[in-house]
Amino acid sequence: MAKRETPRLDSLNKKKKEKEKKMDESSKHQQEENVGDKQLHQGFSGDEEELTESESDGPVLSEDEDYVSADGDDSLHNDPSEENEGGSSESHQGIEESDSSEDEVAPRNTIGDVPLEWYKDEEHVGYDISGKKIKKKVRQDKLDSFLASADDSKNWRKIYDEYNDEEVELTKRETRLIRRLLKGKAPHAEFDPYAPYVDWFKWDDAKHPLSNAPEPKRRFIPSKWESKKVVEYVRAIRKGLIKFDKPKEEPRVYHLWGDDSSSTEKAGHGLAYIPAPKSKLPGHEESYNPSLEYIPTQEEINSYQLMYEEDRPKFIPRRFLSLRSVPAYENAVKESFDRCLDLYLCPRARKKRINIDPESLKPKLPSRKDLKPYPVTCYLEYKGHKGAVMSIATEASGQWIASGSIDGSVRVWEVETGRCRRVWEIGEAVHYVAWNPLPGLHILAVSSGQDVLLLNTGLGNDEEQKNIEQLLRIETPGSMDDTGNTTSIVSWVQDDKHGGIRLKHFKTVSSVEWHRKGDYLSTVMPAGESRAILIHQLSKKLTQRIPFKLHGLPVSSIFHPTRSIFFISTKKNVRVYDLLKQKLVKKLETGLREVSSIAVHPAGDNVIVGSREGKLCWFDMDLSSQPYRILKCHPKDITNVAFHHSYPLFATCSDDCTAYVFHGMVYSDLNQNPLIVPLEILRGHSSTNGRGVMDCKFHPRQPWLFTAGADSVIKLYCH
Amino acid sequence: MPKHYRPPGKKKEGNAAKYITRSQAVKHLQVSLPLFRRLCILKGVFPREPKKKVKGNHHTYYHTKDIAFLQHEPLLEKFRNIRAYDKKVNKAKAKKNRDLAERLLTRRPNYTLDRLIRERYPKFTDALRDLDDCLTMVHLFASLPALESEKIQVKRIHNCRRLSHEWQAYICRTHKLRKTFISVKGIYYQAEVEGQKITWLTPHTLQQVLTDDVDFNVMLTFLEFYETLLAFVNFRLYHSINVKYPPILDSRLEALAADLYALSRYFAANSSATVLGSQAVSSSGAEQIDITKDGTQPDESELRLAQLQHQLPSNEPGTLMHLVEDASCEDEDDEETRECKTLFKNKKFFLSREVPRESLLFVIPAFGGVVSWEGEGAPFKEADQSITYQIVDRPTQGHIFLSREYVQPQWVFDCVNARIILPTDAYMVGRVPPPHLSPFIDNEAEGYVPEYAEMIKRLQAAARKEVLPIPGAGKEDLDDPQNLLVEGIISRTEANEVAERKQKMLALENQYHNELQLELQGVQYSSSVSNMNKQSSVEDTEAWEESLPNMQQIAEDTTTMSKVVMSRKKRRLYEAMQIGKERKRAHVNLLKERKQKIEAAQGSQKS
Repeated sequence: MAKRETPRLDSLNKKKKEKEKKMDESSKHQQEENVGDKQLHQGFSGDEEELTESESDGPVLSEDEDYVSADGDDSLHNDPSEENEGGSSESHQGIEESDSSEDEVAPRNTIGDVPLEWYKDEEHVGYDISGKKIKKKVRQDKLDSFLASADDSKNWRKIYDEYNDEEVELTKRETRLIRRLLKGKAPHAEFDPYAPYVDWFKWDDAKHPLSNAPEPKRRFIPSKWESKKVVEYVRAIRKGLIKFDKPKEEPRVYHLWGDDSSSTEKAGHGLAYIPAPKSKLPGHEESYNPSLEYIPTQEEINSYQLMYEEDRPKFIPRRFLSLRSVPAYENAVKESFDRCLDLYLCPRARKKRINIDPESLKPKLPSRKDLKPYPVTCYLEYKGHKGAVMSIATEASGQWIASGSIDGSVRVWEVETGRCRRVWEIGEAVHYVAWNPLPGLHILAVSSGQDVLLLNTGLGNDEEQKNIEQLLRIETPGSMDDTGNTTSIVSWVQDDKHGGIRLKHFKTVSSVEWHRKGDYLSTVMPAGESRAILIHQLSKKLTQRIPFKLHGLPVSSIFHPTRSIFFISTKKNVRVYDLLKQKLVKKLETGLREVSSIAVHPAGDNVIVGSREGKLCWFDMDLSSQPYRILKCHPKDITNVAFHHSYPLFATCSDDCTAYVFHGMVYSDLNQNPLIVPLEILRGHSSTNGRGVMDCKFHPRQPWLFTAGADSVIKLYCH
Repeated sequence: MPKHYRPPGKKKEGNAAKYITRSQAVKHLQVSLPLFRRLCILKGVFPREPKKKVKGNHHTYYHTKDIAFLQHEPLLEKFRNIRAYDKKVNKAKAKKNRDLAERLLTRRPNYTLDRLIRERYPKFTDALRDLDDCLTMVHLFASLPALESEKIQVKRIHNCRRLSHEWQAYICRTHKLRKTFISVKGIYYQAEVEGQKITWLTPHTLQQVLTDDVDFNVMLTFLEFYETLLAFVNFRLYHSINVKYPPILDSRLEALAADLYALSRYFAANSSATVLGSQAVSSSGAEQIDITKDGTQPDESELRLAQLQHQLPSNEPGTLMHLVEDASCEDEDDEETRECKTLFKNKKFFLSREVPRESLLFVIPAFGGVVSWEGEGAPFKEADQSITYQIVDRPTQGHIFLSREYVQPQWVFDCVNARIILPTDAYMVGRVPPPHLSPFIDNEAEGYVPEYAEMIKRLQAAARKEVLPIPGAGKEDLDDPQNLLVEGIISRTEANEVAERKQKMLALENQYHNELQLELQGVQYSSSVSNMNKQSSVEDTEAWEESLPNMQQIAEDTTTMSKVVMSRKKRRLYEAMQIGKERKRAHVNLLKERKQKIEAAQGSQKS
């Protein structure tokens, strides 16, 4: 409060002086003015009195003001004239004063400043000063009031006073005032807001000072704090902390790479700097006027819409016929921004870009001419089967081949003429045929359904025939019972129809393999579980199980060509057993999905395994149990693989109607790895029912290959 | 113990220790993401690809060393100071204390980037190597409008303009420009400075399209660095040719927006001033002596004076040319620069109003030509009789001077790329010019040579021959433009001959192959078992006949067989290469197909 007091007093002083001046002016005009002006004069004079009064005792005024501001609601209930006394703003007062014509007539309604809605539904608008209800007047209806207004020229002056519920007519002076107010001028025309200031208060001649307090010391000694501040600034200036009029600094450019020789140091933090790749240089198609062939046709542009967003070309070439017609490129800023993003957001890594001729990737292989002879072209076709030829077998001398077909027939052909020597109608689909490997023993093992037939082919001289017939005779059924438990697995039965022995199995037999000495043969029944692989002895007519546990479904089995070792391939792996010691020698891990066939190199140390996914694995048994080489040669299943007995050749045949012939040289030097060279792709078979070539076998002496196709044809490929 | 388990006391190892993700880095540095971004841009720190992404595949990884490098950057502290200072200013503004705010703003802490440039590019060639993006960006901003809403200030735009002009003036002056290409995106230039090929793109000088999906803060940060870099590079380059760097330009020309020309004049004046330095000072008039008497006169005004002195003679046509020649005699250039320098020698160009003046004012003098333009401040007027080429880009030309040739602007660019003066017939006013080809493409490697490229090659060969047999053949008939055509025909017949020879060779080869095949069969036949019956031999011959057209099959077989023996890795690589080749071939085939179609359509129209 005390703080506010002094300025307040000053302002009051000033105001008072101004008012005095105005009063003077208005008194000059008084003679010309009418009665209303007199009222104004009165108002001013009254005001002056109040002000002088308040000036004498400042604190009182401030209290009064506080009172007003604190509970304004109370003051509103007071008489408006009372309110005016508390008011401080001069102009406001002036207006209030000018409205004094109304103020003189005390308001009839005494409800105060309450919402008039409260009386909306009542019959009275309020109460007069004596507390009597002021009745609402009967309202004119709209039509009447409109008519009245149309008649009455002075109607525009009339204002409805809601508070008192009466119509008031404005005087001319009042309208003039309103007009001036609307224009934003002072309401009274005679009021001059820019009047020169007149100092009414004469200080010089006054007896007493305005304030009797002695002049404070601070008025006439320099400020200590100011001087301290000055000293501080002076020091700062001297030290150069504060500079004046710093010239606008231009970015300084200097010889930055002054001595290139010394700056051999790498980037500070020891990490290799990877420069960003430069943006791609534009090609012909980006030209403003490219050759016509670079511009895509409308159909091509439309077809871009069908592409994936990533594949869609980002830039579609356009052609402008002259340089002046080239517009600004709409993506200029965008592309620049994208480049910026690439520069600071893209992870960078050094990538080795190999710039080599793809041909150099191909391995250097010995020329195929040097690896001759090998089967190249088809020379002979053996036709006669009605259905797919499932299996073929070559006779040891190489003069005959036997074939078994799905039509239930087994045929023996003469190799060189293609003549069919003999036909057996088995009646059931033949899955496998195998010729006894002994040259004098012309016995053919045929698997069809659940039976294995040992057939006498009738070849060879009389002595041999005698021998064969003796072998293929079962003396007494009684002797069969000696075998004891094996009887339940297989029964040896004399087959009179075909002149041989029928071995009745309990499940379908998929393959039959002879031992090299021609006395034993093994059969595989994939569904046979623990008795899936059986070994039969022809001379004793005996059958025995292999004493090993099988892991997984067996696919095929094969005897080692020289030693008493037995290979069993299951779907995943190949297990190698020693039959004499009766134990597992090795497990070859193919890594294939499904093994289909297996063949052993005549030397016995290398095995090839074909799979249903078209891959061929070459195992070197001395090297490791992992494949030495995996060749992906066929797009479809490999049905069979075969080694040549004497030539370094092996072949695969597949359902894609091709057979591959490879050169597979195995060296006696253990340090040298086998050499595998693909030599020829043999075509010629056609596909039936999705099957292609079913079997392939090499001629035992010549480098020829027999292939049996699902198209019921057997082909001979010669060198 | 599982492999991923790390005991509590043990430190992280491997990629987990070497790389951190961006959010980790931001947290580690205790900065906001925009500030981190800014620091990365200025310091040239980029994310790296770790071998193993420890935190997952969708993170960006920074090397911890990079982040440590950022952490020790003095700029980081500076940015923090600036941020604190900005808070002060904001506070003053919020309190309506405008005086304080303005006073504070005058002393805003500032930072410079020169140290960073030295750090990022320890050698000058390093800086030149990375100049491509810098130049493209500066040229782009030089043609952008100032945008208050995006904080693109007029001052920066002007700075960009100035820097780009300075760069162009240097390239033009030292004849280092090698290739130009007008594309839809703008004009590409390629210069070779200190063995570094620098390519940049200048937008067409038109109102640029501004898109709202662009964060200008990022671009402006880049620009900030690039401006500084280009200024230092320019300084170094100017000093290498003994010209004072921040060049002082003729204000009159500058006002006419002929900055480049002003710069070239400055060069001309400056180089001769340095040569004749002492002489000029001694021989100049009394007023100059007065100036030197002043004593404190900085050398800038001296230079200015020298420049003004040279302004008078250089206004005459040919003086500039003369000066250029002067300079070129001094320094030893490589072969290519000499070739470039003399391409437009003794040729005078005049640019009409409608051609892109800035680019042509840059290109023509860079290849040794003299150029003027329609407008104020031009060195010579259109009526000058010695003008040899007028460059026009309008449908028709009203008044024609017979002494000169009227060509479209593309002619200049094509000449520059081909390094020969091309015949102007195809580029005449009102015609559709021949296709404009990119000089950045190796047509042979691409596998498709556009027709016009072949023609240019023929012309080039002809031009080369023109240079060689000067002692033998008379020069006058070589000047004859028809000779060019004759040469072209000769070379074409040569090409035909070569093609014929090739075809013959091919035929021979085919024959040889067939014979080989025959021989093979024959051998088989003779060596095959003697008791082979007739039927089989008949079949055999049939098979052989079948195999004859199967040459393709055989070739295919050999590739598949060699593929069989390859290791998996090599096979995949080989296949990937084949795919790339196939794509390229498909593209070329598409082009050829279109070409054929177009030719067919044209043929049918004619008939």
